[in-house]
Amino acid sequence: MFRKPIDLAGAAAFVAVMAALPLVFTGNYLIGVLTVSVIYGIWAVTWDFMSGLTGRENFGHSLFIGVGAYTAGFMNTSFGLPGWWSLPAAMAMATLFALAIGLPTLRLKGPYFALAMLSGAAIMQRLMLIFWEHTGGEEGINGLVPLIRSQLGFYYFALAALVAITALLLALARSRWGLVLRAIRGDEAACQASGINATFYKIAALVISAAFAGVGGAMYAHYQLQVSPQLFAVVTSITIITMVYVGGMASIYGPVGGAILLVLLTELLRNFGEWRLMIYSCTLILILFFLPNGLIAPAWRRLKAAMGRGE
Amino acid sequence: MSALLEVVDLSKHFGGLYAVRNVSFAIERGEIVGILGPNGAGKTTLYNLLTGFIAPDPGARIVFDGRSLLGLAPYRIAALGISRTFQLCRPFIGMSVLENVVVGGLGSRHGEAFDRDARAQALLVRVGLGGKERLAVEALSYGDQRRLEIARALAARPTLLLLDEPFAGLGSGEIDDLSALIRQVHAEEGLTVVLIEHKLREFMRLVSRVIALDFGAVIAQGSPEDIVRHPAVIEAYIGRGDAEPTETAHAA
Repeated sequence: MFRKPIDLAGAAAFVAVMAALPLVFTGNYLIGVLTVSVIYGIWAVTWDFMSGLTGRENFGHSLFIGVGAYTAGFMNTSFGLPGWWSLPAAMAMATLFALAIGLPTLRLKGPYFALAMLSGAAIMQRLMLIFWEHTGGEEGINGLVPLIRSQLGFYYFALAALVAITALLLALARSRWGLVLRAIRGDEAACQASGINATFYKIAALVISAAFAGVGGAMYAHYQLQVSPQLFAVVTSITIITMVYVGGMASIYGPVGGAILLVLLTELLRNFGEWRLMIYSCTLILILFFLPNGLIAPAWRRLKAAMGRGE
Repeated sequence: MSALLEVVDLSKHFGGLYAVRNVSFAIERGEIVGILGPNGAGKTTLYNLLTGFIAPDPGARIVFDGRSLLGLAPYRIAALGISRTFQLCRPFIGMSVLENVVVGGLGSRHGEAFDRDARAQALLVRVGLGGKERLAVEALSYGDQRRLEIARALAARPTLLLLDEPFAGLGSGEIDDLSALIRQVHAEEGLTVVLIEHKLREFMRLVSRVIALDFGAVIAQGSPEDIVRHPAVIEAYIGRGDAEPTETAHAA
């Protein structure tokens, strides 16, 4: 899975820092911010697995997030099922939605998949309002039970989930599977001519991506203890794509760093009051302008190269 | 023994224009066959029909190794043992040279029975790209990209190799090298090769038989010597002495 011991060391250092942060800087506020950043990490890494590797942009990742979260909401409140059941149920529902959109659109050339994802998320957001008797409308569903009582405990659970999902997706991306997905990005017709069923691989990648994004959605629901139609918002999808860009597209591990960095940056800038959005936006524009390949993954590669020379 | 590939009454029209019209031919095992024709004669459309990238008009028959290819998706046809190259090189951008060739072998019907990495490595050496395995594919020269296309097509261990203008854009030295390579893989792998070309000289020395196309139809078949003397071929390439009727016929 790790090409070099140095990758393993880097991953271990990352986990150690993330695990130590709430112990060094105590307080529930920081734990909350870190938990959200870790869940965004799950969403960013799952986006990157499908869209970063195959080049099929998904402009509605929030669809899977919202479906996962609402599944958790219904299971936990309407049916009164234990919180942990939400995770596999969210996974299953997100998979169904991925198949419903992927099967018809991923066999086509052109922007149909991107548009279907974008409109799928928008439609679901509207439906949550239209069927307000069942979904709670704008208010959404309240009163979910926390998965783990202790805030710190839930943070560690979310961190473990992020590490496990990232490790799995990295292993897949570095296997023959990842090779095929990257080849689809390179040239789909040439893939077909090489005897590869590109449509199958694209749909499978979307299902994997959606399943874990749905789990992330359910975790978010059990962290916020409520769900609302805002979960389906386009802005969430765009934020995730930005995180992937900052992290380094198609690197899988980069988007995790991108997500954590941008969530923390948003919080750090709270002191700047009304200037916050402007500073945030300018920072993003500068990063994307001067580092079109992203920040995290290229920086890690450069660091490794420098260390390799030093030895 | 029956032919490796048998094509009967293959047609494809786009609106009122026939790109390929009532084409019938057979390719025997182990042949090197050239498909000759001026630009727009329907050669590439013919390849796209054979490899399933576009569907033929009803009534056609395409049989490969005893199996009908009609209605099969391109990846299924490729997995049956037909590999192709493209007229414009289509490398997997963003991947290394070696990875390009490895992917070429992934869809092969031979499963895991052989070591794909080792074979990809060997193929690269063979096409003259040894030492460039780790390069990004974008860094290759055009001639090297052509070699890579062939290496990638061979990685699947095909029975039939379809080359689409393999010499396009190459210098004469490169053409000689590539011809030698095609002859070599033909001899060593018992491969059946079909190649499209519109330049006469280069491939006449390479092929054992020529199928000449013009305006989507087969106008002549035979040995290279016969083809260059065939009146219909001469007409298609040079035009007739009394050009008037030909021009009118073509315009219609």
